[in-house]
Amino acid sequence: MSKNALTALAGIGVALLAGLVILWAQGYPAVPSYAALFSYSLFSKFAIVSTLNKATPLILTGLSAAVGFGSNCVNLGQPGQFLIGAMAVAAFGIVCDLPAPVMIPLAIMVALAAGALWAGIAAGLRRRFNMDEFITTLMLNFIADYFTLYLISGPMWDRATYSPMTKATNPGSWLPMWDGLSAAFVVSCVAFVVTWVIWDRSKLGYEWRVMGQNSVFSRVGGCNNEANFTRAMLLSGALAGLAGGMMVMGGMQHRFVKGMGANYAWDGVMIAIVAANGMVPTGLYALFFAAIQTGAMGMELETAVPSEFALVLQAIIVLFVVASRESTRLLINRLAANLRARAAAGAEQDISKGGGRDASGR
Amino acid sequence: MHLVVEMLRSSVLAATPVLLAGLGGTYTYYANVFNIAMEGMMLIGAFTAVAGSYLAGSWVVGMLAGMAGGLVAALVFAVFAVYLKTDEFVTGTAINMLGLGGTTYALRQMFRVKGAFMSPRIQAIPRIRIPLIGTLPGIGPVLSGHPFLVYVTLALAILIEWHIFRTRYGLRLRASGEDPRAVDSVGVSSDRIRAQAILISGALCGLAGVYLSLGYVTLFAENMSNGRGWIALAVIILTRGRPLGLLTMSLVFGFFDGLGLSLQSTKIPPQFTQMVPYIATIAALYLYSREKRQAPSAPTGPTGSSEQAGQ
Repeated sequence: MSKNALTALAGIGVALLAGLVILWAQGYPAVPSYAALFSYSLFSKFAIVSTLNKATPLILTGLSAAVGFGSNCVNLGQPGQFLIGAMAVAAFGIVCDLPAPVMIPLAIMVALAAGALWAGIAAGLRRRFNMDEFITTLMLNFIADYFTLYLISGPMWDRATYSPMTKATNPGSWLPMWDGLSAAFVVSCVAFVVTWVIWDRSKLGYEWRVMGQNSVFSRVGGCNNEANFTRAMLLSGALAGLAGGMMVMGGMQHRFVKGMGANYAWDGVMIAIVAANGMVPTGLYALFFAAIQTGAMGMELETAVPSEFALVLQAIIVLFVVASRESTRLLINRLAANLRARAAAGAEQDISKGGGRDASGR
Repeated sequence: MHLVVEMLRSSVLAATPVLLAGLGGTYTYYANVFNIAMEGMMLIGAFTAVAGSYLAGSWVVGMLAGMAGGLVAALVFAVFAVYLKTDEFVTGTAINMLGLGGTTYALRQMFRVKGAFMSPRIQAIPRIRIPLIGTLPGIGPVLSGHPFLVYVTLALAILIEWHIFRTRYGLRLRASGEDPRAVDSVGVSSDRIRAQAILISGALCGLAGVYLSLGYVTLFAENMSNGRGWIALAVIILTRGRPLGLLTMSLVFGFFDGLGLSLQSTKIPPQFTQMVPYIATIAALYLYSREKRQAPSAPTGPTGSSEQAGQ
């Protein structure tokens, strides 16, 4: 564990240095930019609250991807599941008008169910027709994108506005804010704990993890791989759908707005990858990526570096952390093999000395 | 009749980027590299092509810059996946994100715009009329007068079929995918061949990007590859990596893409017509899986298909 943390920190360090070099090469004041990046994301109460709000969808999409990849379900459909979850909550919130204590749990259920349903399509196609889920989920992303775009620019368009968006949902589904911190963050923390318990502390999660490492082993060991595949896909989709739902229920807009998916879903995929599908690392990287994204706004304000630099920095971090992890493992394996070879050679020499034969004959 | 010709023409136009990326992906398919990065390499190529064409005022520079963009992305992929032994899926996803984020960032950093960049100073790829083709009965009007990359792509499909199945290099490429140790044991580095395959796919995906931003339209928009790299990956799986099969499947895909465009004049909402190519891809995968189930012993994956190819 500490070895992993060490290589991850080394990777992050190298990636941040690479980012520094990119900024410097483009003529920006590199060090002040980084100072702004971190002071606007970590070093004030407002900054921390913004970072936690930003982390809300990232934790959920990260968990979604980690559950999927960790059980060997290549669910790349987070963007679609996110949008469908958000749209379902928006529709529910417009149609129903209930008091908050009833409506909020119901809306959360709707988000989970909608995301699971969209992932379920791909899971069903895989189980019934053996179609690769990584392509079907990717294609379903585009279908979800165009479908929600149709809804917000056609039947569900709020005619009082100029750009495509739905009407605002009824206030019963709005999550409360405390000092700027949305309760959506609490929801994502609860989801994190529940997912962690399932993944790391339950028999089901154990079966998924074994399936992710070696599906033949889990089948021989008596697990029902097919059913487990579907279950993992559904949980993965539900988490991505919840991320979408949180964007409607939390925040300020309380409606489905064009482009609200932003890059949250793909960020989640990157977070899971860089966290090697572990639940706790996923949560930590989600916070770290949220800090980068929040800080990038401040960086743009202070040193005029476009805030999109955050996207570049994240991709570089993923590459370097994964590379440092893999190459240290390679290096350690090689060292271990060398040591073992030397030990074996030494033992051989001892034996040959004992036998009185010439050991230099190879 | 005129409508049919128009639809077929738009099929050819829409098929070209998928075919170009798919041809690149054929190399990595046979080298047994899971190349999910085609989408990102295409997007980077599209951006550097527009940047090159705009800054130099010449489409030749734009085209070279686009290929170079794809190559650089592929170089990163190759260094990480082949030499540092990172997971291909992970590296590919990171390259895609780097493509999406990097081009969005560069769009703002270089041209100070968000969303899309267009300018009369971007020089597009010329359209040409090949003398004989235009006069052919039937297919003449369909094939004539496209951006010249369309013809390059058609020629490449035939050339690559030959290169992969009829040359020593192609044999080594397929062997590195099937059994890298066997290739290493005769003194040819399988790592080097796999890296070369990734670089070739990068150059061709870059060229697909050039076609998108300087041929299909003359502008760069955020995420303008819009899933074509992934569709190309699906098409490679569907055709088991045969370049000529790729040509056919890309035309089918192009037909559905074009169908979506022609349906826009009807009452159907445009968002639904834009879904058509993605639904068509899922439908094609369904048909493929049914065919595979009926012949359960049929070989799958690069190993099986190169056995077929050897016949």
